[in-house]
Amino acid sequence: MPARTGTDTAAVTGAFVVQADKLPVVGVLAYRGVSKRFGDHTALEHVSLDVVSGEVFGLLGPNGAGKTTLIRIGLDILRADHGEVSLFGAAPHASTLDRTAYLPEERGVYRRAKVRELLEYLGRLKGLEPRAARAAADTWLERVGLSRVARDRIESLSKGMTQKVQIAACLMTEPELCVLDEPFSGLDPVNVALVTDLIEERRQSGRTTLLSTHMMHQVEALCDRVALIHRGRLVVYGPLDEIRRRYSPHEVLVWTSTDLATLGVRATASKNGGWRVALPPASTPAGYLQELVQRGATIDRYEPLVARMDEIFVNLVDGPR
Amino acid sequence: MRLERIFSVARFELLSVVKRWSYLIATFGLPLFLAGVSGTVFGVQTYFLNQRLAESSEFGLVDEAGVVDRSAFEEREGRPTWKAGDSFVLLYEDRGSATQDLESGQLRALYVVQEDYLRTGEVRAIESEKSPLLSSRGTSVEPRLRSLLRKSLVEGHLDGDVQKRVISPASFVRSRLGPDGESVTDVDDALDLLVRTTIPLFLGVLLLTALLSASGYLVQTVATDKESKIVEVLLSSVTPEEILAGKLFGLGAAGLLQFAVWSSMVVFVAIAASAVLAAFVAVPWQALAIAPLLFTLGYLFLGSLMLATAALGANAAESQKLTMGWAMLAILPLMVLVVLLDEPHGLLGQAMTWIPFTSPLTVIIRLAVEPSGIAWWEILGSTVVLVVATWLSIRIGARLFRVGFLLTGSRPSLAELWRQAR
Repeated sequence: MPARTGTDTAAVTGAFVVQADKLPVVGVLAYRGVSKRFGDHTALEHVSLDVVSGEVFGLLGPNGAGKTTLIRIGLDILRADHGEVSLFGAAPHASTLDRTAYLPEERGVYRRAKVRELLEYLGRLKGLEPRAARAAADTWLERVGLSRVARDRIESLSKGMTQKVQIAACLMTEPELCVLDEPFSGLDPVNVALVTDLIEERRQSGRTTLLSTHMMHQVEALCDRVALIHRGRLVVYGPLDEIRRRYSPHEVLVWTSTDLATLGVRATASKNGGWRVALPPASTPAGYLQELVQRGATIDRYEPLVARMDEIFVNLVDGPR
Repeated sequence: MRLERIFSVARFELLSVVKRWSYLIATFGLPLFLAGVSGTVFGVQTYFLNQRLAESSEFGLVDEAGVVDRSAFEEREGRPTWKAGDSFVLLYEDRGSATQDLESGQLRALYVVQEDYLRTGEVRAIESEKSPLLSSRGTSVEPRLRSLLRKSLVEGHLDGDVQKRVISPASFVRSRLGPDGESVTDVDDALDLLVRTTIPLFLGVLLLTALLSASGYLVQTVATDKESKIVEVLLSSVTPEEILAGKLFGLGAAGLLQFAVWSSMVVFVAIAASAVLAAFVAVPWQALAIAPLLFTLGYLFLGSLMLATAALGANAAESQKLTMGWAMLAILPLMVLVVLLDEPHGLLGQAMTWIPFTSPLTVIIRLAVEPSGIAWWEILGSTVVLVVATWLSIRIGARLFRVGFLLTGSRPSLAELWRQAR
């Protein structure tokens, strides 16, 4: 199937409406009107989105939202009932799958296999030559700090170490598109930082990462763009910063020695020592700052209030609180 | 399909299985164990037989009725002696000295033709308490003694030929009616029947055991992949067809190796049998020669169906249950073995030759029992049917495999499976 140019209208709900014809058309991975049912259950309904080359794309949603189904369809593990998928500009195919790697949420390893043997095997399945697979296995075991257990059986490793073996297996072929489903689960803070660095490194080298996680601070730290799926539908989709701005309250945080009440400004105390001020409807944060200074306020620190991703997530999935 | 990926899967699966202790024990340990047990039994029997032969091959005879023809006896070491096959029968005039020699171990047994023999027909056989293992029963002496008594009784009372026929009433000459008419055969019926039924039975059980064993590994590996959740990683790298083919070939190679080791035992026995019994029995070389081909095809056919079905199970136990039906179909020829052995080329045998589930075993049995009864076109035709069925089962199996492999919740309906398989 050739890549579509994106003329479909995406079925999108929620406040942040996106039209499919406004999506980037050069997606490494592109979905157009994808639907999937399992018996009476609708897993996905007319989902359209693109994952663009070189970005870290966050795929968000509550449990059972349809994220894994969407990933599986993108990697040709499942077939969509309706809609089209393109991977590197063509229908997913064995040869294009060699340019991808997948770390599923439900981790799987051969527990009786030895660490290095398993990595070599998975490397071979991605098309590496035997020697290259062995070299890549050694390199990546070194990178994730597991060289000393290369000859051990997987069953003798801790959960975190096993998790790192799987991450190494996923990244060892230096795939152009890497799909990581909950890569941080089961990792201690040191290893979360390690995996974060590896993802950041991929972005620096121009490789694409599709990241599905419930850890919203990692999303904020890593993702360029995100999509939020809820009950099989695309609820939010776009650049992370834009989405956060869009869902942010029209307020600023002000740290000042001036009594704002004397200036006629209504403010409420913030937990972090500043004052939370609602902007007048027509004002922008920059314009309001200028106005406050002109009115004689001494400003120590001034920040537009930006919504956190976890707030946006809860708001959209569970309703406003 | 990409051959190098199939090879990678096959290699991994093969090494995973052949490194297991259970496989090594089943493949090499079992034949060694059987050889050891057989060798021990044979050795013990030989030992006692030799001892028995070494101790004494002399039997005593006391003729209290005075009916035994003395002309058959010749003087040997001062005593009338009659050579009965490999044994010697020593004639004693009185029971006392004979009993003494029996007690001293010089005689293995003592036969006393009772005084009232003509009325009762009674011949007392006395064995020593000292060597209960060296029973005279089952030796060739007693039939020969019977013949001697018969001859002694009719000697001079009957016409020459009648006398001969009374002594030896019938000499059976075996012949067999074949397509070229009646032909006399030297084949000993008892031995022939034994070989004609035992070797096909053994070969059939062996083929079936190897088939089911290799298929069992398949079911196990699919269950492992599903339970360990590695299936998604595999499917994001290789196609279901490549996984299926890789597993089939890898585990098939493990099964073939097992079959080769086991069947080498049969070949060894067959060679030994043909060397010893060359004049009496025909070893089913045709069946032995075609067995690897039939094993491979039968395995690929049955294995691909088993893989696809096993993938629908949630765990190893459920996968085993689901695949049991295929195994039962494959066992069918053994269930009707009596009919097949009795009438190998009858309607049932011919019909089962063309059914892919039963053809490998049926062809082996038919070839082993009577090679000339199965036509070459039957072998070729059933092989072609099996190849086509194997190709179809791999195609359909791969599609079901994908569906089943990713199942984590409820099992799909038959309609859904049919939709996926088309």
